[in-house]
Amino acid sequence: MRKLVLLSVLMMVVAGLISMGCSKAKGQAEAALKAAEKVISEAKPEAEKIVPDQVKALEDTLNGAKEKFNKGDYAAALSDAQAIPGKVKEMLASLKAKKDELTKGWTNLEQGIPKMMEAIKSRIGILSQSKKLPANLTKEKFEEAKSGFDNAVKDWETAKESFKTGSLAEAVTKGTTIKEKIVQVLQILGMPVPAAAKS
Amino acid sequence: MSADDVKEKGGSDSWSAEQVHEVKKGDTLWKIAERYYGDGSLYMKIFEANRNILKDPNLIKVGQKLRIP
Repeated sequence: MRKLVLLSVLMMVVAGLISMGCSKAKGQAEAALKAAEKVISEAKPEAEKIVPDQVKALEDTLNGAKEKFNKGDYAAALSDAQAIPGKVKEMLASLKAKKDELTKGWTNLEQGIPKMMEAIKSRIGILSQSKKLPANLTKEKFEEAKSGFDNAVKDWETAKESFKTGSLAEAVTKGTTIKEKIVQVLQILGMPVPAAAKS
Repeated sequence: MSADDVKEKGGSDSWSAEQVHEVKKGDTLWKIAERYYGDGSLYMKIFEANRNILKDPNLIKVGQKLRIP
């Protein structure tokens, strides 16, 4: 009888220890998940504008870890969640490199596009006063150049707006498209295409 | 516009779309305006853009590099 009581007490102690261990693992996993969620949400606003694929990959990892946690696999959830801050750090390094590259690209476009626009505006203004267009320019082509230029001017405003709001990648993509449109206009008008606009 | 009698190129700035015409023998501002604008009467546009090197629209020299606005 005494042995039975002792055995029961022992079993209760073991069950308690297991329960405590389980609860501890759950708590650790929960804390790691919260920490991972926090680092992602802090990096996300800027990162999703420049490296959206990497942000998505991190969120997928976090969601996977949460799923494991919900299924009671606390050890796996903890391991996955603990790896996230390191991955966020890598993403931030990649974000910085990409941001530097885009900023350089934007600075280049911002330097060149207004100069080309200024030259085109001047030429269109003069050709509009001309009684006869040059031999290499038909009336239709001139109209096409004017409309292409007007569109480029409007698009350039939206590209600058994208840059102001921090959407660097979008700004550079728009700017590059505008540069190509402007090059077409220069060619229609028989004007030289700047060396920097050819690359 | 023939490549033989008209030498044109962009400015020294790699982003410059400025057109430059090198004056050849027989050129006048009227003729140059005709080539680029189709209308010689717009020659004053070229003269005004080159006031730094031109004093008289009737006096241009062979080899002068004129900005074509």
